[in-house]
Amino acid sequence: MRARRPAAQRTLALSIEPSNDEAPPSPPELPSKPPRPKSERGVRVACLRVPDLLLAAELRANPELLGSAFVVAAGDHPRAEVVSISPEADRQGVHRGSSVAQARTVCGTLRVRVASPALEQATRDALLDVALAFSPRACLAPRSSGAFGSEAAVFLDASGVDSLFHSEAGFAAALSDRAARLGLAGDVSLAASQAAALVVARQLATGRAQSSAPGSAPGCEVQVLPVGADANFLAPLPIDVFDPSDSLAEVLTRFGVHRVRDLLALPRRSLATRLGPEAMRLIALARGRVEEPPLPVPEVLKLTEAIDLDYPVERLEPLAFVLQGLLSRLCERLETRRLACGDLYVKLTTGGESEGRDTRRVGIPAPTLDLRVLMRLLSHALEARPPGGPVTGASIETEGLPVHSDQLDLFRPAGPAPAVLGATLSELESLCGSGRVGTPQVADDHRPDAYAIGPFRPGRPAHPSAHMPFEAPSPGFATGPLNPLQTGSVREAPRAHAGPSLAIRALRPPVPAQVQLRHGRPEQVRSGIASGRVIRVAGPWRTTGGWWSREGHYAYDCFDVLTSDGTVSRLRYDHIQKRWDIDAIYD
Amino acid sequence: MTSTSRTLAPHADAPPTPPEERSVASPTAIEALLEELGPQLRLGGAPVESLQRFATGIASIDELTEGGFPRGRLSEIAGPASSGRTSLALALLAGATASGEIASLVDLADAFDPASAEAAGVALERVLWVRPPGLKEALTCTERLIDASGFALVLLDLATAKGLARSPAPATWPRLTRAASSTGTGLVVLSHQRIAGSYTELAMELEPARARFSTSPALLEGLETGIARFRGGSAGKAHLPARQAYGLPSSRIKHAG
Repeated sequence: MRARRPAAQRTLALSIEPSNDEAPPSPPELPSKPPRPKSERGVRVACLRVPDLLLAAELRANPELLGSAFVVAAGDHPRAEVVSISPEADRQGVHRGSSVAQARTVCGTLRVRVASPALEQATRDALLDVALAFSPRACLAPRSSGAFGSEAAVFLDASGVDSLFHSEAGFAAALSDRAARLGLAGDVSLAASQAAALVVARQLATGRAQSSAPGSAPGCEVQVLPVGADANFLAPLPIDVFDPSDSLAEVLTRFGVHRVRDLLALPRRSLATRLGPEAMRLIALARGRVEEPPLPVPEVLKLTEAIDLDYPVERLEPLAFVLQGLLSRLCERLETRRLACGDLYVKLTTGGESEGRDTRRVGIPAPTLDLRVLMRLLSHALEARPPGGPVTGASIETEGLPVHSDQLDLFRPAGPAPAVLGATLSELESLCGSGRVGTPQVADDHRPDAYAIGPFRPGRPAHPSAHMPFEAPSPGFATGPLNPLQTGSVREAPRAHAGPSLAIRALRPPVPAQVQLRHGRPEQVRSGIASGRVIRVAGPWRTTGGWWSREGHYAYDCFDVLTSDGTVSRLRYDHIQKRWDIDAIYD
Repeated sequence: MTSTSRTLAPHADAPPTPPEERSVASPTAIEALLEELGPQLRLGGAPVESLQRFATGIASIDELTEGGFPRGRLSEIAGPASSGRTSLALALLAGATASGEIASLVDLADAFDPASAEAAGVALERVLWVRPPGLKEALTCTERLIDASGFALVLLDLATAKGLARSPAPATWPRLTRAASSTGTGLVVLSHQRIAGSYTELAMELEPARARFSTSPALLEGLETGIARFRGGSAGKAHLPARQAYGLPSSRIKHAG
């Protein structure tokens, strides 16, 4: 289905002369009129229409179905109605509207998929993403009914695109190509209004169905209506292309009005009196003079991919396979919009005894589109907290984040490119776990083993707190295992460096020690780090704090000891736990 | 700082040895020669390009290493506990970050103390601290950081408290060396004992010398360490170990007092 045939090759060259009442035709002997200036062309609207959204959604989620005979059913029982059929199933005689059991009798190798509203909605959103990749002004067409109930269409502002794509046909071909790459092969049309563009796109599919054999695959054709040619194009078409209400369609049929030009021939005032505002709107559409609100600019950058599973998934491995599909499609959509993936919000619908929704957030250290990294982070999150029961549905939501370009510094060496750094950070966090990758910070705490780790932002000024009175730590901050910081604040120390400084190697967790005392001071130490007779000792240095909380209360007596094995370590006695341990080595 | 290259070609002035009198050098002798000359050996005698280096800010070390630890090469700092290896590594980090470059610490030992690093002059905001859960992840993280091509220095701390359960696979070091060479990232491995073999451009084995305590009141003032073995630079192997003293930051002494 993807890019069945190059869209540009299927571009129809339409040459419809403007009608007499719109503009006088040019004399045949004169050369063709030069293209009108942009200001005279007015609004141009492009429409991308997918004829069968359910079919496209299934093919997008399961590319292996391409070319096979399959149907989409409304339910998972034999009497469920077939709501969508693949071209191959159509070729074998399966009809839309029949039951699954009937369809199976016609086609023995038929594969049946159950319609997933979540998947359908995600595919509809993906259609909007394709449009937003070309224009900030875009919106989805309202859901149609009747013969066009299975379609999905999106409108986008195409005014002035010929200067970017050389021609409007070139723009339409590019749009069609981009949609096909996302697995959304559809027809593209350009006209002066949304309604006219939609009708043209519908007409493309109708014409294809009439001209080719039943069961032909949905194509991706493009058609551009020249400026002012809308009315002439619409005139010979049947009234049904405007999808009128059933009551109005019945009345018009009774009147003998079957085509658009028949409708335009009727007196407007009488028609308005008899058939009401809907008929007037139909006439306005037919004349190409419909007043439509300008296309909106969607601001929400949240993207969601979801799926309802045919069977409950109990184990993590097959669930990861399902989630990888969702993530893959999400990344494709983000890439289409030139965005990268932010934090993931995973919602799992669980069945069985623990029926409900399992919601979790998977933090992404830096915006990335690396599927392998995203999957690893997601797998870590799932392994850390598996879902409570068999999963019957899943959705992943993310916020599309722009990837910033690198602003080089004149006076500093360049670091990694932001995109590369983002991908690297994400991969490192997926390897090491959450909160284990970042910038080390000195915790504003008196505990000997206190530390903090914050987000790595090498481009920021050396001491942000120099500009801000207090910077609250982000939720991604981690602190020492024994030391959940009460305030979470980070201390700024003066940067003074005079000569080589003796460093401390922290032991996390501290190593238990057996200590023999003499006059209250360590005389003999035995531990996995330092053992032997104590040769020199300094201390004790008493550190207490956190007395206001039961969990955070600490009281240590620390000694700097040199043992006979040559190790200089920090030995401490924990007054709360009543035990000795070594929490650091001087190295 | 330039280093001269040595080749295995016979000396031009020496009389040619008859083929029948040539003796085959024993493998032990070749290994000893390789160990002594190490990175100075270059097949074909191509001139060695001058390597850029990270200065540690410690005069004796910088002098011994001819300007510091090399960029785009693998270096090693090895030694037992309290031998001053961490202090030297932090001095290296401080030197790299002081010039505005970005460095990374892959801390398998999970032993990094931000307060110590800050006292040693490390610009913490330009350090990426990675705390992998195991050796395999540590090596993968190191490779990713080098491949990111923008970290001037990657410090791999393998000096875990209990020692490594198993050594890295032999293929690890040539891969990391090649990556470091292609991206210009300086890779320094910190461990209890040397593990990278002949892939190191510069290797330094430290040993504890003396812990300095003051009297009345008794205070730990610092450590003195010595260089037990050194390989690298034009000298190839230093026979005269340099001594270095690391003092406890004055702020900590004041706090302790």
